[in-house]
Amino acid sequence: MSGQPRFAHASEAELARILDYYAVRWEYEPHTFPIQWNLDGAVVESFSPDFYLPELDLYVELTTLKQSLVRRKNRKLRRLRELYPDIRVKLFYGKDFKALMLKYGRFDVAASLSGLDGQTLAQEALAATAVASEPRIAKDAGPVDVIAPSAATAGEPTDPPAERRQRLSRGMRRRRARRTYRAAMLGLEAG
Amino acid sequence: MTELKRRPDLVHDVAEVLVTEEQIQAKVRELGQRLATDYADTELTLVSVLKGSLPFMADLMRAIPIPVQIDLMEVSSYGGATTETSGLVRILKDLSSSIAGRDVLIVEDIIDTGLTLNYLLRYLRGKNPRSLRICALLDKPARRLVDIPIDYVGFTIPDQFVIGYGLDYGEFYRNLPFIGVLKPEVYEDR
Repeated sequence: MSGQPRFAHASEAELARILDYYAVRWEYEPHTFPIQWNLDGAVVESFSPDFYLPELDLYVELTTLKQSLVRRKNRKLRRLRELYPDIRVKLFYGKDFKALMLKYGRFDVAASLSGLDGQTLAQEALAATAVASEPRIAKDAGPVDVIAPSAATAGEPTDPPAERRQRLSRGMRRRRARRTYRAAMLGLEAG
Repeated sequence: MTELKRRPDLVHDVAEVLVTEEQIQAKVRELGQRLATDYADTELTLVSVLKGSLPFMADLMRAIPIPVQIDLMEVSSYGGATTETSGLVRILKDLSSSIAGRDVLIVEDIIDTGLTLNYLLRYLRGKNPRSLRICALLDKPARRLVDIPIDYVGFTIPDQFVIGYGLDYGEFYRNLPFIGVLKPEVYEDR
């Protein structure tokens, strides 16, 4: 049920705890869905939902971005649903997560979330010099399953997006993931 | 459990009344008649999930004009004491009688994420009831994670923090006779 992967955000760790509490099996970022290709057919954009609940056949994406910044996430989600109509995805916005924390009396957790990317205040301090749009670190337990769209729904190759995320070395990504996870755990323990 | 910093004010802490007392009672009567029709030739057991469903259960059972039995259950909630000790949901109060071979109706105050109900269904199915259905006063589908068909629904409500008629914040406001929306400053102030 929980192998305690390295969560990118404290909110993901909290949701995992909730799912564990109610005995709902989950997997963290197990699948990556290509959603945009260049003219050469190479994948230039993909989407890895945060959680997959196998017993419910449901993906859950958690975003604690400010509402004004979720446009990109919404676009990716729309594209995912267009290309993979059989995939069920539930998107939790920041307000949804905050309301969930309120429901469970975890208001300190909700109140600690701030910033652009759902990081805790501690994480924000650590990431103060980080590149703005950091690629999310997937669990390193092995290769992720890349799900191809059905032939009927795959779109025509498109041009690469105007903005590109800066690539970091594998070592830098791992070090950043370890710092993020430690900060998330410290934040949860304090809360 | 959420602890409030000040004594609750049952009048001024409510931002708006979402469902009035009259609307609730009318719906309860309607549900009672439907249940009496659907379960006319069976042995129905109402299972109330404490504590929120208590007022709804009390009114609903009296609106069903056929013989019924009742039982009570309580399930721990995430964020409470059991979260720190066991990390797992627990049955705090189990059924007092067997439901094997019986037609069971779970009576809930509100279905939100569906996580509690999902656990309850799995637990109660193991007790081999003849049938297992759900009756919820309120359905709040905005944050639903587990899609469970709800057989009888009172009201479908938007994503607002509701209290009253059994629903609480910090164990208060349950005794309000209506369903109201709590003012944000109440839970932000705590």
